[in-house]
Amino acid sequence: MEKDLNTAWKTILSTIETKVSRVNYLTLFRQTHLVSVEENIVTIGTTSPMIADMLQKRFYNEIKKSVDDYYQGDYQLNLVTKSIEKKNVSKNDKETLLTFAQEKPLIQLGHLPRVRSEFTFDTLAVSSSNQLAFVSAQTVAKNLGTSYNPLFIYGPVGVGKTHLMHAIANFTYQQSPEKKIIYITSEEFTNEVVEAIRNTETSKMKKRFRSASLLVIDDIQFIAGKDRVQEELFHTFNILIDNGSQIVLSSDRPPSEIKKLEKRLSSRFAGGLTVDIESPDFELKTAILLKKADKYQFDLPIEIAKALAEKASDARSLEGLLLRIITESKTKEQKATLAMVDNALGIEKQESKRLYPEDIIKNVCFFYNIKPTQLKGPKRDAGIVKARQITMYLLKKELELTYVEIGNMLGGRDHTTVMHGVLKVENMLKTPNKISVDIMGITKGIFG
Amino acid sequence: MHIQVLSENLQKRISLIQHVISSKSQLPILQHILLEGKEGRLLLSATDLDVGIQVAIPAKILTEGSTLVSARQFIELINSLPSDKVELKSNENSLEVSSLHSKSTFQTLIKEEFPTLYDALGDTITTIDKDILQKEFTKVIFAASTDNARPALTGVLLKREENGFLLVATDAFRLSLKHIVTEGVNSQDPGKYEKLLVQSRVLREAVTLKDEGNVIIHVSSKNNQIIFADTNTTIIGRLIDAEFPLYDDILPSEHSLRFVFNREEMHKAVKISGIFARETDNIVRFSFLKDKVVVSANTAAVGSNMVEVEGVLEGEENEIAFNAKYLLDFFTHVEEEELVFEMQGPLNPGVFKFKSDDSYMHIIMPVRVQS
Repeated sequence: MEKDLNTAWKTILSTIETKVSRVNYLTLFRQTHLVSVEENIVTIGTTSPMIADMLQKRFYNEIKKSVDDYYQGDYQLNLVTKSIEKKNVSKNDKETLLTFAQEKPLIQLGHLPRVRSEFTFDTLAVSSSNQLAFVSAQTVAKNLGTSYNPLFIYGPVGVGKTHLMHAIANFTYQQSPEKKIIYITSEEFTNEVVEAIRNTETSKMKKRFRSASLLVIDDIQFIAGKDRVQEELFHTFNILIDNGSQIVLSSDRPPSEIKKLEKRLSSRFAGGLTVDIESPDFELKTAILLKKADKYQFDLPIEIAKALAEKASDARSLEGLLLRIITESKTKEQKATLAMVDNALGIEKQESKRLYPEDIIKNVCFFYNIKPTQLKGPKRDAGIVKARQITMYLLKKELELTYVEIGNMLGGRDHTTVMHGVLKVENMLKTPNKISVDIMGITKGIFG
Repeated sequence: MHIQVLSENLQKRISLIQHVISSKSQLPILQHILLEGKEGRLLLSATDLDVGIQVAIPAKILTEGSTLVSARQFIELINSLPSDKVELKSNENSLEVSSLHSKSTFQTLIKEEFPTLYDALGDTITTIDKDILQKEFTKVIFAASTDNARPALTGVLLKREENGFLLVATDAFRLSLKHIVTEGVNSQDPGKYEKLLVQSRVLREAVTLKDEGNVIIHVSSKNNQIIFADTNTTIIGRLIDAEFPLYDDILPSEHSLRFVFNREEMHKAVKISGIFARETDNIVRFSFLKDKVVVSANTAAVGSNMVEVEGVLEGEENEIAFNAKYLLDFFTHVEEEELVFEMQGPLNPGVFKFKSDDSYMHIIMPVRVQS
């Protein structure tokens, strides 16, 4: 019933809003609510009798018309002084004062914003490649601000930096929910700084960050080159450290290698503990797969996990592969097989490695430092001939083009010339020599 | 309306009216003053719909009547008139103000549009001495919150007690509590009006009442209004329709440290330390030693300082930190010279009391700092 009244009043108010001036609406109508609707009397509550009086005097007819329209009838209005907030507010206030007793007021209970609750220390797979980072993160979470400050975690993509940072935030939140925890990516931090400057609300933003007990900034390398943001971070950093608040940062490289980062910042970043996470080794990848499969409640045979781990490059792609296998196994209603692994990897390959002849030509030229026009031109200097023959070989082997096609592509050469070139390279590759090293270098360039 | 008043009588009272006239006011009508001439008095009323003020000035009434004039200009004009007789005469839509050498004409609005400030005074709650109102209420009101997000905390609790009543205000970071002994509390209807949650704004106005004599506090439960009236002035405000938080549990019952000190010296010390605390959330630290307390603050990039204040310690030596803002607020709102500070560990609320009077208590939450 109460809810009905609320929605009814909202609708009525929206029609009134169009009829009265904005100031009138804001000062007189905004704090009104519908108390009851009986036979032909509508009772409207206001916060003060003066407001009730003014509504009665000046807007009785407007309100009556909107009410009549809404309820399809002829109603009398009864304006009273009655506050709306009574029920809901009292409860909250008791809570806040209780928190006052526990010496940190103004807490927001509930879920920690921006932090994924499933990323905890328990759900992280640990092996030698990330053990140091894991242990230091746990130490930091247990002794906030007193052990390593700041904690700087770096490592390539998909090794679990973000997971660790979420885990620290979650752990702290569980232990002492009254602590102010801020988790933010450096891009969001930048945005907040910019926004605050634009709205001239810098003091508000400063207060927000500087009152944190735990500040976690992900992907800090993105503040490179942003001077004002760096300055803000610098001050925030100092104050937080002074206050004994914990700071945790992550990046894809160590502080000293972040370019365009002010020296005073990079030295501060490195002032606590800097740990790196290496790309996951085979065992860890297998373990991650098994853990993730657990999360999806999927029975993943260990051989399959091993096969997947062997082929996937980083942890994030592992999850994609695993999901693909789970879906396939579920639709086919059978257990995961090695064929499914190949399938999944196959799809992966097609999607990511679409190769064009130009890529090969470009990479060969880049490797030998010559121009494509030279490669396609008539000159027969020893260096250029070698590059040209390798190009032929790669075009044949990687793209399986016909000799004629290859010949046309390289400046209209005869197909027999191409055959000769490919054969020559193949012969040379039979024994280990410099050519094979060159080809490896080129293919690395092509496939990344 | 046609009346004569003395300009100094008008000038004396008109400033009070100004408090409820906001310069950025929303509705034009709220930037007006209602003038009413009747029964040998000129009544001036203004409101911002939250708090209303009405003042009465003795006047010679030639014709009764009322009108509505623009507040800012009217007040400014009255304040610049020489001290002499002023004549106010209203026509259909204008008001003529003439004095010794000047004559001004105001456009007026239809007076019916002005809100009625109150329709009845309601029940009398108590009659209170103006000195008590000013001195004792002031010690409590400042602790109330001004943040409308939590309505209950913007109020001051007025709770009836045996020989008077209890005042409590808190903004969740600090709390003021005062037992007031006064006669004349209406003790009929026990249960009714036992607890009133009064908007702190109207109290802030009420403590500025200057005239001699007592103030009568009325409550109209029908309108949810509270009215403070003396012979010439009536201040109308709201009761807050919310539950005041349960504060009993947080009043500390014991302490492990008790320190007696001089308010003014401590006030100075906190002010000085405050200079160095501005950049660090106003955190000022206190180290209580045997016969003194060391007040200190530091900001990494600016510097640090420490001030010693003498005092007498009972119990253990200990440390605590507070937000200087709350301390300064407290020291400026009380007058007692000898204060007592009590605490139980650096993470529990600190309690300030008066040495010679145990009816008052001010509690402040400490700030947690790294040792």
